[in-house]
This record gives sequence, C-alpha cells and structure tokens, in this order.
Amino acid sequence: MSTASTTPARSRDRSLLGTIIHQPYIWAVVALVLLLVINLVKDPGYLGVAVNPTTGNLSGNLIDLLRASAPVMMIAVGMTLVIATRGIDLSVGSVMAVSGAVSMEFMSNAGDGSVGTALAAAGLALAISAGLGAINGVLVSIVGLQPFITTLITMLAGRGLAKVITAGQNTSATNEPFRWIANGTVLGFPVVFVIAGVIVAIVAVFIRRSALGLMIESIGINPKAARMAGIRPIGILISVYVVSGILAGVAGIFSVASVMTVEVSKTGLAAEMDAILAVVIGGTSLAGGKFSLTGSVIGALLIATLDKTIVFLSIPSEATPAFKAAVIVVICLLQSQRVRALFARRRAKAAPTDPGAGSPRPTAPRKESVPA
Amino acid sequence: MALTDAIVEMEDISIEFPGVKALQHVDFRLFPGEIHTLMGENGAGKSTLIKALTGVYKIDGGSIAVAGEPRMFTGTADAQSAGISTVYQEVNLCDNLTVGENVMLGHEIRGAFGINWRKTNEAAREALVGLGLGHLDPKQPLSSISLALQQLVAISRAMVAKSKVLILDEPTSSLDANEVEGLFGVMRRLRDQGVAILFVSHFLDQVYAISDRMTVLRNGEFVGEYLTADLDRTQLISKMIGKDFGTLAALGSNRGRVAAPDATPFYSATDLGRKGSIDPVDIEVHAGEVVGLAGLLGSGRTELGRLIYGADRPDTGEVRIGGVSAEVHSPIAGLSKKIAFSTENRRDEGIIGDLTVRENLILAVQAERGWARPLSRREQKELCDKYLVELNVRPADPERPIKNLSGGNQQKVLLGRWLATNPELIVLDEPTRGIDIGAKAEIQEAIAALAESGMSVVFISSELEEVVRLSERIVVLKDHRKIGELVNGPDVTAETIVDLIATEGSAA
Amino acid sequence: MFTTAQVRRIAAVAVAGAMAISLAACSGGSGSGSTDSAGSGSGDGELTTVGFVAVGPEGGWRTANEQNIQDSFSKENGFDLKYAPATNGDQNSQITAFTSFIDEGVDAIILSATEATGWDSVLKRAQEAEIPVVLLDRGIEPNDPSLYTSHIAPDNVGISASAAEWANAQFPSGAKYVVLEGPPGLSVVNDRNKGWDSTIDANFTKLESQSANWSTEDAKSVFETILKANNNDVQLVFAQNDEMGLGAALAVEEAGLKPGTDVKIITIDGTKAALEALAAGRLSFVAEYNPLFGDTAIGVVKDALDGKTVESDIVVPSVTFDSPAAATEALPTRKY
Repeated sequence: MSTASTTPARSRDRSLLGTIIHQPYIWAVVALVLLLVINLVKDPGYLGVAVNPTTGNLSGNLIDLLRASAPVMMIAVGMTLVIATRGIDLSVGSVMAVSGAVSMEFMSNAGDGSVGTALAAAGLALAISAGLGAINGVLVSIVGLQPFITTLITMLAGRGLAKVITAGQNTSATNEPFRWIANGTVLGFPVVFVIAGVIVAIVAVFIRRSALGLMIESIGINPKAARMAGIRPIGILISVYVVSGILAGVAGIFSVASVMTVEVSKTGLAAEMDAILAVVIGGTSLAGGKFSLTGSVIGALLIATLDKTIVFLSIPSEATPAFKAAVIVVICLLQSQRVRALFARRRAKAAPTDPGAGSPRPTAPRKESVPA
Repeated sequence: MALTDAIVEMEDISIEFPGVKALQHVDFRLFPGEIHTLMGENGAGKSTLIKALTGVYKIDGGSIAVAGEPRMFTGTADAQSAGISTVYQEVNLCDNLTVGENVMLGHEIRGAFGINWRKTNEAAREALVGLGLGHLDPKQPLSSISLALQQLVAISRAMVAKSKVLILDEPTSSLDANEVEGLFGVMRRLRDQGVAILFVSHFLDQVYAISDRMTVLRNGEFVGEYLTADLDRTQLISKMIGKDFGTLAALGSNRGRVAAPDATPFYSATDLGRKGSIDPVDIEVHAGEVVGLAGLLGSGRTELGRLIYGADRPDTGEVRIGGVSAEVHSPIAGLSKKIAFSTENRRDEGIIGDLTVRENLILAVQAERGWARPLSRREQKELCDKYLVELNVRPADPERPIKNLSGGNQQKVLLGRWLATNPELIVLDEPTRGIDIGAKAEIQEAIAALAESGMSVVFISSELEEVVRLSERIVVLKDHRKIGELVNGPDVTAETIVDLIATEGSAA
Repeated sequence: MFTTAQVRRIAAVAVAGAMAISLAACSGGSGSGSTDSAGSGSGDGELTTVGFVAVGPEGGWRTANEQNIQDSFSKENGFDLKYAPATNGDQNSQITAFTSFIDEGVDAIILSATEATGWDSVLKRAQEAEIPVVLLDRGIEPNDPSLYTSHIAPDNVGISASAAEWANAQFPSGAKYVVLEGPPGLSVVNDRNKGWDSTIDANFTKLESQSANWSTEDAKSVFETILKANNNDVQLVFAQNDEMGLGAALAVEEAGLKPGTDVKIITIDGTKAALEALAAGRLSFVAEYNPLFGDTAIGVVKDALDGKTVESDIVVPSVTFDSPAAATEALPTRKY
C-alpha cells in the first residue's frame, strides 16, 4: 500500500487489502461488517463464543451464523458455475427437498442409527441429486432447451418427486451420526461449516487449478467462439449442472440433518432465490462469463447474516422481506457499473489531472476552406 | 459552402488507458457537407477517437465542441440524440429482430395504440429504398440476410435518425464492389445535403474515390490534416506507417512455388459437402503449400473452410489426412488432426472479449489438451512471450482484456492462438479484413513464412489480388460450388479469376 | 388411511344430521349410510361431482385433512371428487383450478384456500353459475358470507385462547414468552394471534414474535437466535403449529436447556409427532386443530344441493392435551 504513491500509476497494488478493495464484492464485505457491527451495538457480547456447560459444544451467534450459511454456500457455489455458462439452475431448492426426502426416508426405513446407515443415506441422496443435475445438463446441452425452462421443469418435478418419496409426509428419522453433520462441532467449528468450507475449497481448486474455469468462462462469454477454439461445451455444461445438483444435494442433507425431518413442501423452498442473490451479490454477472467463487461465498455469508440479524434485532416479521430486499438492492446498486462510474468521476474531480503536461504535439498544416 | 463553421471540433484530445496512451493531443475537425476520412494503422487510435467523440470513452484532456457548443456525451445514444450517428466496424444490430425493426429501432412510428407497425415498416422500406435496398423486405428477420446487407441495414438505421454527423467505421469491409458503389452514391447524396460524414476504411482506392479531406493518426498521435487531392498514396502510406513505401513494395510474392506433385498431400478430400451450405468439392493441400479459395461473398468459400476444420459437420465426402482416412466433424476433431481455423467473424466466433490476451492466446492449445491438464504458468508465459513478439501485438500486455485491443491486434492474437497449436494446416478466413495496410503486410508476410516452414495454408480472401499474390493454387468457387482450380503462374491475375467466375456464371 | 367401513360410518353420522363430530363418534353410527347418501345426492344413482380446490402436501395436519375429505367424498357415498392441489402453495394455481371447475360445471366446489384474500371475483362467478361453495379451514377476507354457502373450520381464535388459558394457569405470576408464527398476513396467523393476545394475562412479557414459515428447520434457526439475543431468559414459546414447536424444542436442547422444564412449548395442530413429543415431555401443551370434518362437509354439500338452509359458519370442535399422560392415551388412535 505504501508504495502506491511512489510507483507509476500502472503498477498494481498487490497487497491483500488492495486486492479486496478492487473486487466487485467489496460492498458485500462492507455490508457484512456493517451488519455485524449493528448486532454488536445491540449486544456487545454478540461475537462472544463460549463452551456450553451442558452440551460441551462451542456456542455463540457466530457459530449459528456459520452453520446457517453452509447450505446457502453450497447452492450458491453450484449456481455460480451454472450462471457463468450463461445458464441458471432454478431446481436447487427442489433438489434439496429430494435429497432430504431420500436420506430421511432411507434412514427411517433402515431403523438403526449407525454411521453406515448415515453414509448410505447421504450417498444415495447425493447420487439422486447428481442424477437430477445430469437431467438438467443433458436437456440444456444436448437437447438445447433453455436453462430457465429446463430447470423450472425440474424444480416443479423435483418437489413432486420429494412428495412421492415420502408419500406427502414430513418424514423424521433418528440417526446420531447424521444429526451430527448439522449440529456437531469439530475443533470448535460447526461440522456443516467445515464440510462446506472443504467442499468449496475442493471445487475452487478443481475449477481454478484445472482449465475448467477458463473453459466455463469462455463458454459463458462467447459460446460460438469457445466452440470454434475447440472447447467441447456439452461435457462442460453437463458437469456444471451435475456439480450444481450434487451441491444442492449436500445443502439438502445439511438442511434436514439440522432437524432430522424433511418437510417436503418447505425444505429448500425459495432456496434458488437465495442462491441467485448470493451469486449476484458476489459480483458474478447473470449474463454469464467471469465468475467469482469467493464472491458467492461472501454473498452466502451475507444472506445468512442478514436472516440472523433480522431475528436478532427483533425486526417484526411483516417487515423482514422489505428489510432484506432493501439491503440487497443497496448492495446491487453500489456494484452497478453506472454507480461505480459516478464514484470514479467524483474521485477524478477531486484530483484533476494536468492536461498541459506531455510532449509538444506535432504541428500540421490546417486548411481553413472546406471543399464543397 | 466555403468557410463554414466546423460542426465537430475536437482539440487537444488525450485518452489514457491503464498503461497506454491511446490518444495524445489529437485535433480533429469535421465540417458540414464533407466526407472526411480518418487514416491510420490499426491501433493508431481511429476507433478511440470516434469513441471519444461519442462519449463511449471519457477523455482525459482536451475539448469537444459540436456546432460551436462544448459537449461531453455519455455514450452512443446520447451522441445520437445530438445528431451524431455511428455505424461501427463490426455490425451491431439485433439478430432476432426484423430488418425493419432494426432500421427503425428507437424511431418506431407510434399510433393511438402503441407502435403502428404498418407505418413503421413503410418508413423502413423508404429508408432502404434510399440506399438502393428496395429488394429487402423489412419484415424478414435480420439473421436471414448476409453480413454485407446487415451492414447496409445499419447505415439505413443511422439515416433514419436524421443525423447531421454520420460516422462510418469500416462500413465497406464486407461489401462487394457494387454494394460499395451504391453506398458511395448515398454518401455523396448525403454530403450534398450538408451531412458531415466521418469515414474510416482501409481500402485506399475507396478513400481516394470518396473522401474530400483526411486526418492521419499514428500511434495515438496526430500526424496532420490534409486535402485528399494534396496527398498522393505513397505519401499517405508513409505518413501512416512512418516509414518508406519501398519496404511494402518489397513484400515477396510466392506465386509459382509448386509442391512436389507426386508427394501425398497433407490434406485431401473428395466430395466434401454439406447440404444447403456447399456442394461436394474435391480439394487437396500439400505441405508447405498455400491454396487460395477465391470467389465472391456468399460463393461458399467460408463454408468450405469451415468444413475442412470441422466447424460445421460435413454430410458427404471422404477426408484423408497424411493419406489416412479421417473424420473431422467438430472443431476439436480438427484440432486433434492438426488443423486450425481462423474465422472471418472475429467478434462472434473469434475472441472471448472479457478474457485476457493470454487466456485467448492459450485457449485452443488448452482445449486440445483437455481441461484436466492445464498449461502451467510457465508454459503460458512462454507462449505469450513468443507470439506477442513474433506477431508484433501492440500493446504486448498479456493481462489486458482482449476487447481493449484494436481489431488488427485482436486478429494477431487469434492467429497466435492457432499457431500455438502447431497446426500442419491452417485455414485463414479473411485474416486481413478490416485491418490497415501495415498490419495486412505483416500478416501476409507471416503467412508466407508459415508456408515456407512447411505448414499447409488455406487462404480465403475477398481481395483477389491478395489471393493471387500469396497462393500456389487457387480454388475458385461460385454459388456454393467449385467451378475451377488454377495453378498460379505469371499469367494468372485477378482478372483471370474474375473471367472464370463471369464465364462460368453464364454457362451455369 | 381410512378404511371404507370407517368412512361409511363417519358419513352415516353426518347424514343423520350431526353437524359437529368428534373422533369419538367414529365408533357410533351404523353402516346404512351409503344407499342413503347416494339417494339424496343428484338422484338416480348418478354421482354428484364435487371439485376440491386443495392446498396439497404441506404437513401432517393438511395431509390428514385432505385425505379425510377425499375418503369422505367417495364413490360409495355418491360423489365424484375432483382433487386439485395447489402447486407449491401458490394461490394462482388454486384460482385457475377454481375457475376451471366452474367452467366444467361441477355440482359443488369445496375450497381450502392458501390465502384469505383475492377470492371475491371467482366466488361471484361461482354464484352466477349457481354452484355452491363450501370453504374448509381457511376463511376469506374480507369475510362476506353471501359469497359462499358455508365455512367449516375449527375455531382458531378459540383454540389459541385455550392455549393462553393454560399458560395463564401455569405461570400465575407471568412469564417471558416468544411467539413463532406462520407467514405474516395469513388469516390463520391473525386468528391464532388474536385468540392468544386477547386471553394471555397482562403480567406476561412478549419478547418477540417472529415468523418461522410453519417450518421446523426455520423455527430451530429462528429460536436459537432468539435464545441468544435474550440470554436464554425465555420461559414459554407459543408455536402456532406443531412443526415450529418441534423446531423450537430442538433449539432449546441445542442451547443446553431442557424443553418442558426450562422452556415450556405450546403448539397447535395436534399431529402424531407433536403428541409423541408431548408424551416424551419435550412439548408442554398441544391444542388440537381437528382436521377430520369430511363428514360435516358432506352434510353441508348435500343440504345445499337439496336447497336446505345451511349455517354459514360451522365450528369443528377440537380438544387439548396438557400432559404426557393425555398424549399417551390419545396416541394409539391418532391417525395423522
């Protein structure tokens, strides 16, 4: 940072703070900090984390927040990749319900509370989620349906499927290892958040260390040119939707494990909206192309924090949608090109450049008459 | 009309992008009733100057006055409302609307119940007739007409806006001779009505045929403003490139260099065709040979190039590569057979705008290797270092988004993308279209050098002289079929090809 | 869920004129209802066509209620029931189903609305087509009894008032409590708030009233934050449905407290899961919102079609469970 004033303007500021300030999701970070500060003002002990004497677990608002953000984080990461390819996945909420229904139904029938049952239930749920994602991917890439329509269909069909699986009932099950996924802690951190973090890291490394990220962005920015450059869009599109499906499945497991019940008409309801918002807040354009996984993770954290803050501040439930919308609109406004340009202009006015400097310009004959 | 006041007066304009001085202290004046050409090599700052005028780019220094008033536009739309219309280098219309809707966009005629489509379409037809395009149906979708006609639709649209200033950025690059003549007629008519026309073109003949005055830029700097009559071509070119014309004249000709006839061709195809696109064609290309595809716009030359690469799936024909039967049904199949294809449609099928020069350059190599084996940072840097220097890409900054480069430099990066795959055969579709004479010479030299090094080249160009200068053999196409093949020699000229097309046409 | 025999017995009682019926009545009545009801329908053995604009799978209560309606309006009872559940609780899909029933010209329509408002125009259309409309569970707003034949529902205001009475008795010196309500704006939410607020003693302190969208998961997340915001100083939770109450219990356990002892939880609906929790001491009070009134509905539909006067507001009686013992006793016969 300190070198910024002495080095030429073109050299980039490489410090961490400098990097973050230039990210599109900077306002999401600001909003996140602001929300935490507001909570702190209401209760100075807000950020405190202590060991609960009865349960022996770490507990605190931060822990709750991390826990609540995990499912949104999962679907937001999947959604980011899909949106980057110019698509959209509206089915994530329904896939969450299917995944939850499959795992609960499986465990409630299996009866025993063993780790094996939990793993089998999770595996089966993820396999079916991946299948639903693959259906989306095939319909979009091979059949050529529009992503919006395709995933709208799977969204409706998915919730129907969840209802069929549990015969329309909210199914509960007892399985301590499965419950631990959503309620336990490892080294003080909630298990869900640790799992979510590991999955995000795996996806990020997988995408950015391989050439997948480059190819996804190419397809999103200019699908024709990407194909002409030899990129095979079908495989990439299918994988992206499958990944989104699997991540939605994980989110569904997180969601139902928390209460060990699947509520077929409520689990994952409107989750796609949270995911899309997280992606947009994170600075990825809905038009596809360049994407930021970090941004989406921050977006997911922000949405979870927002939900929690609304309760913590005792904002009346009638006002919560308006409050949430207002915060998100402000962030999106601050991120928009125009508003940013406005800020840039303000700054430019504050520090005017010297137009007189530079080399003498070449003189040239000037003709004052104009040919008719 | 002598001594009128300038309608556009730009003084001391400077624009700086991070790390690049795009324009430095440039002056520019445009008078009502003149056709003024902006001249300069690619990257000289012509497009930047236009964008500075229309407010697409914010100027860092200088002043802009329109009709005597200091103005600062916020973008093309704002400029247009002040009577300054722009038709950009690459056609910028809505593919999914009709011709009429495109012409009238923003000027639809409204009735009591919203837009009156009947009247709107009539107005569109009038505008089209004014351009000699009476045969175009305003109701047909834009996507159904050729790129050349789309360009004319874009110009019609500017005229509907009743502009006082018309900016035409490379309007003729995709038009044939007749269409150019029609356009020029309209331009002269508009000039006589007092419209100020700013014209950018790389075709010197056209510049001299149409323009009254010219302003020359070089490397973002103002070189001078001249009456067209005062400056001959040699002088103009040397002002543009800042060196003698002699180096250009010395550009080597490859004609007559024929590959060993008994050798197995690197690429051969029999009955290669695709329904609705091109009738079955036989073609072979030897190693180190340049085969030109000549023909008018829409003759099927691009389509044949696309079939060779696999951009479109052929439905007839047998392909042999190095004598071995092969299937080339997709771009990636083409790449894996060491075939590369550089498209004529740089914006839609070439560059990935938001990605950097580096990412664009490595894309094909990466696609060929697959996503699982990414190029290392070092490999990427090596490729960039090599091709940015070899192809003289300016600015040579691999981390700049490619969309910020000028057209000619984008083309060089794309050429680099294909050369990086080490192709044995490269299909070049209009590699010199819409770029200036300096870059054109560089690309022609590069092509000659590639063939010299043993690469097979299929060269597609609408400039017959260029095809004749570079090719050993010339495949002549017309109406989606091959009508002949010429072995180049001293007696083959552009005329020969034109004659062949003309006579075949009457026979068919 | 119900055997045909059971349904016939329930139907028989309904035809006998019993407008209100409790579960205990299942054991009464005779098997003679089927011929009777078919005769009093549209006659000549033809089935009476009834369109059921329903909510669809939503939770245990809804499932039991709609299953009960479907079983009651059976072919054996002389009805052809067309079941049209809403798409994900969307009112628009209900209005569409409603209008298409009018266009089809069904004999009667029964409506379980997802939302109270916005029904005026379609109800008028039904009236013009002379199709009687029976509202189940949720009423309409503004409430205009001239627009429908009858509204059959348990009394939300009364039920939540009975819950508040229990709370008053439990905490004579008052308590700090939290309300977990359904999505704001629903008439059921308003009614349950109304009954509670008008009955609860003045020495109670309402810390917060938050929506948890009828959901266990949401309720758990909301209540864990409320507990933290109030340093666990909450003695009572009024959860407006069983699912939210169960979520609150999970949050209480998560916080290291004991539901039933440290925090008492009241829920409404009386599903099997809630009664099990009550029996295990995790909930403290469950007020039933009786879902089984298909028989009542049959009686109303028949009377309306026969031109008889029908009461415009029919209250389905509900019971309350205030102890593990009461829950344990009721559990074996609990069907939903």
